[in-house]
Amino acid sequence: MTDDAGPEPPSFDLTPRPARPASGTRRGALTLLLLLVGGMVFVLLRTLGDASLFFYDVAEAVELRSELGDGRFRVVGTPQPGLVVTESDGGSAVVFTLCAGDVLADVVHQGDPAELFQPGVPVVLQGAWTAGRPTALDGLSNAAGDGWYLRTDHMVVKHDNDYRADGAELAPCGAAG
Amino acid sequence: MAGRDERPGTTGSRGSRLLGCVALASLVVLGVLAFFLTGPDVRIHPTTGEEFGQFDAVRMLYLHVPMAVLMYASFMLCAAASVGVLVKRTPWWDVMAHSTAEVGTVLCGLVLVTGSIWGRPVWNTWWEWGDVRLMTTLVLFLLFAGYLALRRTTTDPRRQERQAAVVALVAVLDIPLVNRSVAWWENRTLHQRSTLEELKIEDLTLFTLMFSFLTFGLVVWWLTLQRFRVGWLERAAIDHAVGSAIADRRSETSADELDAAIGVTDEQVGEASP
Repeated sequence: MTDDAGPEPPSFDLTPRPARPASGTRRGALTLLLLLVGGMVFVLLRTLGDASLFFYDVAEAVELRSELGDGRFRVVGTPQPGLVVTESDGGSAVVFTLCAGDVLADVVHQGDPAELFQPGVPVVLQGAWTAGRPTALDGLSNAAGDGWYLRTDHMVVKHDNDYRADGAELAPCGAAG
Repeated sequence: MAGRDERPGTTGSRGSRLLGCVALASLVVLGVLAFFLTGPDVRIHPTTGEEFGQFDAVRMLYLHVPMAVLMYASFMLCAAASVGVLVKRTPWWDVMAHSTAEVGTVLCGLVLVTGSIWGRPVWNTWWEWGDVRLMTTLVLFLLFAGYLALRRTTTDPRRQERQAAVVALVAVLDIPLVNRSVAWWENRTLHQRSTLEELKIEDLTLFTLMFSFLTFGLVVWWLTLQRFRVGWLERAAIDHAVGSAIADRRSETSADELDAAIGVTDEQVGEASP
């Protein structure tokens, strides 16, 4: 053919299309994608569901006691020296006073405490306010003694970010401060 | 790293083997520093006078922290390469984005696992739902796992590249949330604030942490290099297969069949002939 033979015939595209992946692989990838989307929705729901469970410090928890009622919440504070290990409701319990600044709150924690739990190291507790004064509180040397105590069942330690040998910039608190 | 137009025939080179050996040797030295030469985190409480700290669990610091920082770096590189995909539209950027995303996702998974292992003795929990640092990191992992899954769901490579690039650029928006969560939502996370920003670390502990950054930096560099080369070879193999298929089709099809296929008659062919 020459250039003056008229318009070029339409080109015939022989380029093979990329091979489709095996349908099983494609289905598997789609399933994985759906699972991941489902996982993210689950995470978001869990996160939003727990959004009210941020940490109050002890002073806030005491101030908001009437608003909090008997609902569960998280509270962060520093345990005071003078823990009492006792029994409550047929199980082991640790009784101590939690503080933030000058504000104190008595705690009856059901179950085993955290491995690194000790006076002076902040903890986050989960539980609810309870009216009354169980006899176990009598053993505390510096109890709040205000007719209320925190009944908790979940304890995690909130450690600091200091790794210096003599670094312990822990906020002074209550009798330990 | 292979040049843009370089097509390596193997994933190894003298340089990458040397890099791998140095990374391996650094890992051994890091192991000695982390497990034998540095001490446990034991301090004396200023008010109670009792010992406190993270004790031997602190050694996880030398794995968890550098992996987290390099995870950020990998995902940021992925985002930069994704911009390259959208702007330059060359395979080099796409292979780079894919490689860094894979390495970053592995690191993110390891960060979650090492954090959980460390959290059990130190926090008294493997996992805390609702903890903002943990949640944003998990979301980051899921986003990039989704990115990798997306890359396998479409058969159109061009479309796949662009879609993946957009997903990567959206996913990296979670990184500032992960990184700053401990400062922005301090009462919603158990996680400590940054030790390095406040320089609350010293002596051999600081040196070992810095050395762990170097070591894991070498490891991640080596992994990314290898994954890039594998990705590049995969592309070369696909291009080669497509080229061969076109050549085979052309050789199987006679001129008459071609003319018939595109609707050119014998008369038209005769008129067009000189």
